[in-house]
Amino acid sequence: MAGEKTENNQMEKAMDAPLEFVREGNQFLSKCKKPDLKEYMKIIRAVGIGFVAVGIIGYVIKLIHIPIRYVIGQVEL
Amino acid sequence: MAGFRLIDLAKPFLPILPEVEIPYEKISFDDKMVYTIFTGLIYLFCQFPLAGLRKDDLPTVNDPLYFFRGIFASEPRTILEFGLLPIFSSGLILQLLAGLKVIKVNFKLKTDRELFQSLTKLFAIAQYFILANIFIFSGYYGSNLSIAQIVVLNIQLVMGGLFSCLLTEVIDKGFGLGAGAMIINTIAVSTNLVSDTLGVSQITIDSEGNNEAQGALINLIQGLRSKHRTLLGGIISAFNRDYLPNLTTTVLVISIGAFVCYLQNYRYEIAIRSTRARGTNQMYPIQLVYTGCLSVIFSYVCLFYIHIGAFILIQLIAKNNQENIICKILGHYENVNNIIAAPTFPLSLLTPPRSVVGGITQQPLSLVFYTLFMVITGVWFANKWQAISGRSARDISRDFKEQSITLLGRREQNMAKELNKVIPTAAMTGAAVLALIATFGELLGLKGKGAGIVVGVSGGFSLLEIISLDFQQNGGESNLGNILQAGMGF
Repeated sequence: MAGEKTENNQMEKAMDAPLEFVREGNQFLSKCKKPDLKEYMKIIRAVGIGFVAVGIIGYVIKLIHIPIRYVIGQVEL
Repeated sequence: MAGFRLIDLAKPFLPILPEVEIPYEKISFDDKMVYTIFTGLIYLFCQFPLAGLRKDDLPTVNDPLYFFRGIFASEPRTILEFGLLPIFSSGLILQLLAGLKVIKVNFKLKTDRELFQSLTKLFAIAQYFILANIFIFSGYYGSNLSIAQIVVLNIQLVMGGLFSCLLTEVIDKGFGLGAGAMIINTIAVSTNLVSDTLGVSQITIDSEGNNEAQGALINLIQGLRSKHRTLLGGIISAFNRDYLPNLTTTVLVISIGAFVCYLQNYRYEIAIRSTRARGTNQMYPIQLVYTGCLSVIFSYVCLFYIHIGAFILIQLIAKNNQENIICKILGHYENVNNIIAAPTFPLSLLTPPRSVVGGITQQPLSLVFYTLFMVITGVWFANKWQAISGRSARDISRDFKEQSITLLGRREQNMAKELNKVIPTAAMTGAAVLALIATFGELLGLKGKGAGIVVGVSGGFSLLEIISLDFQQNGGESNLGNILQAGMGF
């Protein structure tokens, strides 16, 4: 019950006073721990390599599609 | 059994709905990776063009959903016309309703869980069927279709939908890693990014038969030595052509993706302490992006329902006739480039502009309304979702109690209260920031690619987290993991 009540209160706050929400959010953001450059570069590299690798395989599959599209395009009812 | 429950609707369909079986034995990490990637690739392979459309009867109705394509992995005029949208929307909506106790489901019972799962699938397939017929009867596939054509189109679109449901289920049921729809979406987004940047296929762009490459980077290189443009003209056109992907959008999309990556690592750290072992203080991270990109997806699902409702009224009922009363109230569709149907005022308030300049000069109010819509729906959803997703303050404090962990400097009884101060704020702030980034991209005229990359990178990120977690636990057992480690330097 207690959890629900505070949640409702917060909901009302967010609805009634968007300013309050922005202030709280800003406060929260400044308290957050941000990744340092080294950590960030590592993540960017991992995500980037994954994205490009999967993307290239996917693109090859899309290239296979071109002749298939041509064949299906011929079907008429 | 007291009263009627919505999940009982699924009961008669249980025996006929195809379902993926839970794996019999433990699947190794390598196999899971292979299953995950291949499921995504099979999905991409399924983007066949629709068979049975007449060539001479070119449709007059254009694509009203052009800015949803990048987010829900859908391709216009293919079997996957609606992409993963019905799967996302039925999953999100039903879980939200169950969480808010509108639908009564007892998740402790196995039969109830099964029924709920089948209901989700059934709802998705019903949506595929309804959407397919809305599009067929609106004239999107041609104005006078024969009965045979209608039947064939229906079969293709609904079967395509059912097949994508099963593909996501393969990943969800434990053959793959993470959440099925999300991963397939990520793979589709990355493929789009690569084909927009490095795509080599040549597309005819004008009546004289000049070709340009689909990929923006390839086009720049070709532009340096193309015959129909000067050197400078080629370079300028590579950055601002609007009929195919240009370099400006590519750079924007990549920088948005990089920023989302940065944001994913924002975390609020709470000091925790084990009551059993002394002197071992640790940090428990609470991510800023607590609900992930689901809040953005939810906003887009809401937006989709508004747009499809307007499409029914304007195209199906009023036939896009500007004299009709409905069109006078809601606006009508305007033909742009013969591909997309752009809504006019007031429906355009909830439509992202197609370019920055056009956005500021023609629909300045959209900037406000669209942003507000995205932020409000996103924040509302995040606030509800964090409470029902099994990672709420109460769930976490219960887990802590079971592992005899307390917050440093707090009494055990106050744990849920303390966490409850942090988690909803994190979820709501995260959702607001993500919504703002996605909106920022959309308002610059990325036509769905901006929100798409937000969803794609977050999905990729969750996959990365699962991989590194698995790696920490099983420490170098898997061959694939070793290769990844060598390649990426985890």
